[in-house]
Amino acid sequence: MARLGRYLLAPLMGALMTTTGLAQGAMTDVGTPRSETLIVQTFDGRAANASAQNPMNAYAIWRGFRELGWSWLWEMDTATGESYPELAAGPAEVLNDEHTQFRVKLREGVYWSDGTEFTADDVIYSLETYIKYREQLGRVAVIANYVKSWKKVDDYTFEVETTRPAYDFQTVMGVYTWGSQFVIVPKHIFEPLGDDVVTFQNTNAVTLGPYRIKEFDPNGSWQLWELREDWERSGWGNLGEPKPKYVLYKDFGPEETRALAFVQNQYDVDTFMSPDSIQAAQSRNPNIETFSPTFPYHDMNDACSYGIYINQQRAPYDMPEVRWALALALDLQQVGISSMSGQFKAGALPLADTPITGPLYYGPLQSWLEELTLPDGYKPYNTNFGAELAETLAAQGVDASQLPTGDALEAGFGMGWWKHDPEEAAKLLESVGITKGSDGFFALPDGSPWVLEFVIPGDWNKVLQRIGFSIADSWRQAGFNINARQVDNGEFTTVQNTNARNELQINWSNSCTYNANWQNSWRQFAETYVEPADSTDALNGNFMRVTDQRIFDVVADSARLPTDDPQFLENGREIAKYLTEDMQMINLMNIPTTIPTNKSYWTNFPKQDNFYAAPYTWWSSFKQTVVNIEPASPQ
Amino acid sequence: MGVVAYVAKRFGLYLAVLFIGLTITFLLPRLMPINPVDGYIGQIQSRASGTLTPEAIAEMRRNLEELYGLKGDLLTQYLSYLKRVVIDFDFGPSFTYYPQSVSTMIVTALPWTLGLLLTATVIAWLLGNMVGLVAGYFHKRKAASILEFVGILLYPIPYYILAVTVLLTLAYIFPIFPLSPTFPVGQMTPEKVGMIIYNSLLPAITLVLAGFGWNILSMKALAVATAEEPYVTYARLKGASNWTRMTRYVFRNALLPQVTALALSLGMVFNGALLTEIIFSYPGIGLIMRTAATGGDYNVLYGAITLSILAVATAGLVIDLIYPLLDPRIRRK
Repeated sequence: MARLGRYLLAPLMGALMTTTGLAQGAMTDVGTPRSETLIVQTFDGRAANASAQNPMNAYAIWRGFRELGWSWLWEMDTATGESYPELAAGPAEVLNDEHTQFRVKLREGVYWSDGTEFTADDVIYSLETYIKYREQLGRVAVIANYVKSWKKVDDYTFEVETTRPAYDFQTVMGVYTWGSQFVIVPKHIFEPLGDDVVTFQNTNAVTLGPYRIKEFDPNGSWQLWELREDWERSGWGNLGEPKPKYVLYKDFGPEETRALAFVQNQYDVDTFMSPDSIQAAQSRNPNIETFSPTFPYHDMNDACSYGIYINQQRAPYDMPEVRWALALALDLQQVGISSMSGQFKAGALPLADTPITGPLYYGPLQSWLEELTLPDGYKPYNTNFGAELAETLAAQGVDASQLPTGDALEAGFGMGWWKHDPEEAAKLLESVGITKGSDGFFALPDGSPWVLEFVIPGDWNKVLQRIGFSIADSWRQAGFNINARQVDNGEFTTVQNTNARNELQINWSNSCTYNANWQNSWRQFAETYVEPADSTDALNGNFMRVTDQRIFDVVADSARLPTDDPQFLENGREIAKYLTEDMQMINLMNIPTTIPTNKSYWTNFPKQDNFYAAPYTWWSSFKQTVVNIEPASPQ
Repeated sequence: MGVVAYVAKRFGLYLAVLFIGLTITFLLPRLMPINPVDGYIGQIQSRASGTLTPEAIAEMRRNLEELYGLKGDLLTQYLSYLKRVVIDFDFGPSFTYYPQSVSTMIVTALPWTLGLLLTATVIAWLLGNMVGLVAGYFHKRKAASILEFVGILLYPIPYYILAVTVLLTLAYIFPIFPLSPTFPVGQMTPEKVGMIIYNSLLPAITLVLAGFGWNILSMKALAVATAEEPYVTYARLKGASNWTRMTRYVFRNALLPQVTALALSLGMVFNGALLTEIIFSYPGIGLIMRTAATGGDYNVLYGAITLSILAVATAGLVIDLIYPLLDPRIRRK
């Protein structure tokens, strides 16, 4: 279907392409000079709550607040995975051996967008409000559960005590990946409201970042940010001068109209545009660029990875032989080609293989993967996965010069994946009494039909929806009677959280280890987060349904280790090994995000060969892009 | 039956429809395989997996059930819902966008939906009926077949294809209209109003084209049948002109079913036009309803569906009440 779309769209564009204005002095629809305005596609399309700008409740989060409006105590350098101070003057000072008390010094000379100075009073007020109204505010639970007490030392210093040993203090109180749960609000605006803060909309929010809200559409289609004249004394003014005077977040509609608007240079950065649409647009406008100039063209550096989450508590998935059979019956090469045009990076460990996690987990565990042997003596790992994929793509007509070779194969397609071996899968199943019935499908050991329910997202995540259907096809070919059921976002969460309704689900919620600190994703592998197999009570964590005591022990031991301790990282690798050797989750690939850019008005966007930050416009690290892009030369 | 009894019966039916509609509206979202708490948590979780701790999820779950008023048995919730909706006409806060009130969301979006859909529906109805009348009355002439062909051509085209084609033609090949409009905000000035009308023209044209075809075909069929009626033949023999026969004899008699259809489609306007909103980046209530349905946002669904029920039932009541004015036969009964 996608290919059909491309073939229809490309000639249409070819026939219809008109010369599009890069006219000097061109103005945007919102009345700003185009050459001074960076325009990005909104992440969520149109927002239904554009006037809601109170970060302690649900608010119009995808309108640039995290990137341009708020400012954090510590930000994440998404090129290196290292945390760095933003509002804080340096790292947090640890005050006790238990690692529960911290002193934080703030940078002086930082001002809110209305000219009021930012001080420790704002931090203290925010913490007080988070805790005081924790039952009425919708987005404060993480911090309310993390912080026990606080104290102002002076205008630029405060102390915090946490509820548990907190070796991840900077990445919880600051940014781990895409933004922080701790948004500091201006005391002078919120405090006079008293108890009404819980319903306060905070429209036209006073912000700390170098941009202020100039105008926004109450119907949620766009929001315009303007660079503050005093940007140098903003929350991250010390990062350098933001280049665009204006940043416009706007929804350009469905993919069809976005592709056309992109061709017409109406905006500069997109979010998830399908490879087919990008290719069609590129053929009409050479200024449109993919993340990488060669195959696979797209960004693969998201914090999470896609995988098949298995309800290991339910028979027959409680048997490792069954889980391994599902992995070996899956033709990931074919799945990736049919759903992603071959543009994906495979990963066999339960986390994404990025430039940050690669050297920490994948590299050190590569030889272990190669030597991994199942109880029947079978070695399931295929180190040639990338090379074989490249060969297949070349045979299918992909320009060989565009395909990675040598070392670039691993960077492009991953270090390897499981062999596609339906025969071994059948053998493993047979060893536990599962054989094919007369209908050609595997039947349960008692001879009854085995229908596997596989839950995948509906239209709200089209990439995952396509991958899910391809997986179901692949399994069906191998003899599994799959019922692939696509569901809306709400039901997806219900299935994820409910043992009684969960069997197999494509998911990413527990495979979000971004750097050496694996706590965020794997700390929830604990007995506390295990419910009985048939439970209808909602799980609050451990969506992989890990019941492996070895893993619980490692997680518990690691809670008392600093996250930069070599043993902590080693423990993380140990968890990855346990999860993998028992195939507790079938990890598939990094999350592909296409992020095409248009260099007609702005250049020097983050790219594969210029990776100064993650390229996402909806991560707070987008501030690096804003500082590093350059206006294009007049044409 | 006297006028009072006729009106009372119709009004009684109207109230019964509203009550049944509201009750079904209350129950239906609760039969969906999702709940609003999961919807809210899922919305945050799906894009922030690594930062939402299990403790936080557990706490949110407890708090949200309380805040959303989902504690207590179904009957208590139903009675409280009826009281809020019927007596206070208050739909409470949105669950997905808590604490934003449903009324605010609807009031912000509805004028856009009504402005576009009411205008487009009425224009499509007027144009379609005029063309259908001419095509039906002169159905033996070649020009009439061409008019009918327009209806046959437009009617079966899926809306999405029609909209994208119009967009490509009038915003890309001939860039007369914006591809992705930006609606002005703030204090309205004549210039801004002009800009809103200009930006709304393309979706309006598409909606008119989409509704136009059905009106042509149905009016044409009615006009052909009516033109064969003995009283029309009698009028011709009496020497009435073509214009008089077409407008006063055929049109008036063919109008009744079309008026009913118009009234019902005006009622449906409150459901919004999701595809139009998405394709043309047009504001409105359609997207709000979709988000509410996928996230289990009961209150928003209640608000939007109640309005729709109210509109359709009221349209039905109005039609019932004005029928006697349009059709003397009903008056006599």
